Amino acid sequence: MHVESGIGETVLALDRVSKRFGEAAAVDSVSLTVRRGEIFTLLGPSGCGKTTTLRLVAGLERPDAGEIILRDRVVASAARRLFIAPNRRNLGMVFQSYAVWPHMTVFDNVAYPLQLRRLARPLVREKVARVLELVGLGGMEERPGTLLSGGQMQRLALCRALVYEPDLLLLDEPFSNLDAKLREQMRAEVKLLQRRLGITVLFVTHDQVEALSLSDRIAVMHRGRVEQVGAPRALYERPTSAFVRDFLGQTVVLAGRVAASGARGDGCVTVAMNGPLAGCTLAGRSTAAAPFAAGAAATIAIRPEDIRVAPDDAGAPDAGHLVGTIEALAFVGDRYEARVALGPEHCIVLLLGRARDWREGERVRLGFPPELVSVWPA
Amino acid sequence: MAGVSSVLAAPRPRRLELSTVLCSLVLAAVALCVVFPLLLVALQSLQVAPPGQPARYGLDGWRAALGEPGLRAALVNTLTVTFVRQLLSLPLAVLVAWLLARTDLPGRGWIEFAFWAAFFLPPFTVTLSWILLLDPEYGLVNTALARLPFVTSGPFNIYSFWGIVWVHVLTGSLTVKVILLTPAFRNMNAAFEEASRVAGAGTLRTALRITVPVMAPAILSVLLLGTMVSLQTFEVEQVLGLPFRFFVFSTTIYDLLVTRVPRYDAATALAVLILAAMLPLVFAQQWLTRGRRYTTVTGQFQRRVHPLGRWRAPATAFVLALVVVVLGVPVVFALLGTFMKLFGFFHVPDPWTLDNWRTVLGDELFLRSLRNTLVLSLGTAGAAIVVHSLIAYIVARTSYAGRRLLDFVSWLPFTVPGIILGLALLWLFLGVPLLRPLYGTTTLLIVAGVIAGMPLGVQIIRSGLMQLGSELEEASRIAGATWWATYRRIILRLMAPTLLAVGMITFVGAARNIGNFALLTTSANRPLSILQLDYVAQRKFEEAVVVACIIMLVSLAGALLARLIGLRGGGLG
Repeated sequence: MHVESGIGETVLALDRVSKRFGEAAAVDSVSLTVRRGEIFTLLGPSGCGKTTTLRLVAGLERPDAGEIILRDRVVASAARRLFIAPNRRNLGMVFQSYAVWPHMTVFDNVAYPLQLRRLARPLVREKVARVLELVGLGGMEERPGTLLSGGQMQRLALCRALVYEPDLLLLDEPFSNLDAKLREQMRAEVKLLQRRLGITVLFVTHDQVEALSLSDRIAVMHRGRVEQVGAPRALYERPTSAFVRDFLGQTVVLAGRVAASGARGDGCVTVAMNGPLAGCTLAGRSTAAAPFAAGAAATIAIRPEDIRVAPDDAGAPDAGHLVGTIEALAFVGDRYEARVALGPEHCIVLLLGRARDWREGERVRLGFPPELVSVWPA
Repeated sequence: MAGVSSVLAAPRPRRLELSTVLCSLVLAAVALCVVFPLLLVALQSLQVAPPGQPARYGLDGWRAALGEPGLRAALVNTLTVTFVRQLLSLPLAVLVAWLLARTDLPGRGWIEFAFWAAFFLPPFTVTLSWILLLDPEYGLVNTALARLPFVTSGPFNIYSFWGIVWVHVLTGSLTVKVILLTPAFRNMNAAFEEASRVAGAGTLRTALRITVPVMAPAILSVLLLGTMVSLQTFEVEQVLGLPFRFFVFSTTIYDLLVTRVPRYDAATALAVLILAAMLPLVFAQQWLTRGRRYTTVTGQFQRRVHPLGRWRAPATAFVLALVVVVLGVPVVFALLGTFMKLFGFFHVPDPWTLDNWRTVLGDELFLRSLRNTLVLSLGTAGAAIVVHSLIAYIVARTSYAGRRLLDFVSWLPFTVPGIILGLALLWLFLGVPLLRPLYGTTTLLIVAGVIAGMPLGVQIIRSGLMQLGSELEEASRIAGATWWATYRRIILRLMAPTLLAVGMITFVGAARNIGNFALLTTSANRPLSILQLDYVAQRKFEEAVVVACIIMLVSLAGALLARLIGLRGGGLG
């Protein structure tokens, strides 16, 4: 891991990989590249194909189409009828259930992959001791694997996957069986360990906070396809599809019609609101490839935390602003959670700072900064 | 790549991927031992020439099978006995399993073990015990009742339709269902029941409206299994049915094959008929156990039980009475019978003697048979562990293309009476020149024993494998182990308790097996189970019951051992 020139080199590449189970396509023509030294995350709701993708990489499933290339070596190719068994791919994997072998001690569990690689006994002992020390399991070698706590079992599974320095570490929802506090701690530990050892990680999760906080890059998957790949912040701030936009974080979505489009040549679109908000206009940047036609149906989207909330000074709403009434207010400790009615049957949920005392029934003025608003074709 | 030391690179392929080759070999071997003999049976039903004459093909055998009233009666008898057995034993077994698994019945652990032990009792021994009690003239119960006023003669007759049903219900039908259903009931998610209790239903209503319907797939599966097993029985009808000319399917076949001029064509035609009737049951059984229909088992084990309240005492008494009838009576009377001067005659002066034991233990024939039985049973158990676990593994775990077929084939031994399977193997071993030297050896009997135990052995190991998370195995593959290394170092170790239990069950099964061996034995390889049959045929009941008793004791020891192993396995997790 001292080869500096290796940074950016492709460790794993998937080329139009598909996998069907019966009629349903679990993975549908997925292409990805994972670069050396990064944590790459597959994120999506359950059933989106992320775990199947991981299992295809691991060699636990055979692809029906496409190629998987691991460090310049084709490990699975449907067209060439080529398939390298999982034991010959030199991968590490941590399972959701940890899969700690119950008939072995902690030492035996970690030593197993080294024994398979025919390492001399003293070397095995040394490597096992070092990796156990690394995660704080030193001195527990003789304990039966099943007598560990959840967090310890997970560390053990991690040791077992790391001890032979695999080319790629696969993590299949490894934190989902831990309680919230331990989960946060393990997340930090794994990231620290990854940075220290420089290992490449392919990580599968359905938890967006986990994905956003741990990853260098994320691929959001939906119905077996990759919706968007990018750095966490780019995905959050500039989603390219409605699915990614709504899956990551909270979004306020309002409907309207395009009033003016691209007048200034910067992709800025002005939208006249529909229904109870008729008369108001909001502007934002276009996400569509083609320019919007005036009068076309469109929706605007913004993260609730990007909406500027101020007490209403009773002036008529100008462009880029809406007026609403706080319908329900809940104090949740560090902030207020407010249901703001923009009109009959039209509510959005906003988080308000506690610097000011908010009241139920109070009228508020909502600012939609054009640089934070996105406009989507309806 | 350059920075990674070469020792840590993925292990190089040392050999060809073994799995596909091995899977195909197993399938081929099993097909040779199971499918091929059954095809021989089907072919034989069309071969109408008497034995020893050139083959001639025709439909005479089928005409005989379908036309002769005796054979038709046998078919009707078989179906009636099977139906009545299931009808009586199923509700009883569901009740007992529910009491053992889901209520606070006192001593339920021991009672469950008693049923387990009773399952191991050889039907032949149990039959002899009940003859002591229910023989129309000399049976203890009958003579005791005859002393009562207004009773002129003993009311019970073991040599009757109901006598046969009675012994069957107590031997196979009830105990096998209880030992299969109790764990299934125990693993059911208690939340189903608790929801019902919270909704206001009492214990009984919850049991009838929630527990039993939720368990319906398991119950149905056990019922199908029980039906298949009951279509195979042989020894009970052979002993109890012969005196009043009551033939079922398997005894008819035995009769056709052994005592008259052998009518292979008619016997095998009947076998094909039964096989055809069984196939839907096999398909149903496979459909039931496949996939997600068993959704009752959950990870959280909430071993909460219902209090029986005022029903506790009657329920306990009822279950204990059952234990006495299925276990106590057969064991005690089989032992008593061995010390009788004249089997079944309690009223003669000074009826007791040790001579029977002395005669049998001193008999050269007995010692040889004992040795044969031990070699046979140990060999069968060892071979069964290897063969059954390989089949179960391929079926449950691999993506081998022929695994469904293999699963189906492993069920086939259940679809024909043991006696026909024995006959089929006889033809296989006499017909294939390479195998002919094995005729008359214990090896032949071991092959028969492994095949006879295949459906049960494979299913037990398969369900054990299903409970074993596949991730344990996948982790080993990814860590760099080949399929074979994973099988040896992970699966076999984790499955050890289950495998030993299967070994024990096959050991006992081989020790008491009569149906499969009856046609395969010669004087050289005759085991104890056939020796006792020969004693009965010679009307030497005293000697027969001593041998039966020895087989029973071996079986009970096996039951105890299997249980101990199984319990340790349960503790392992």
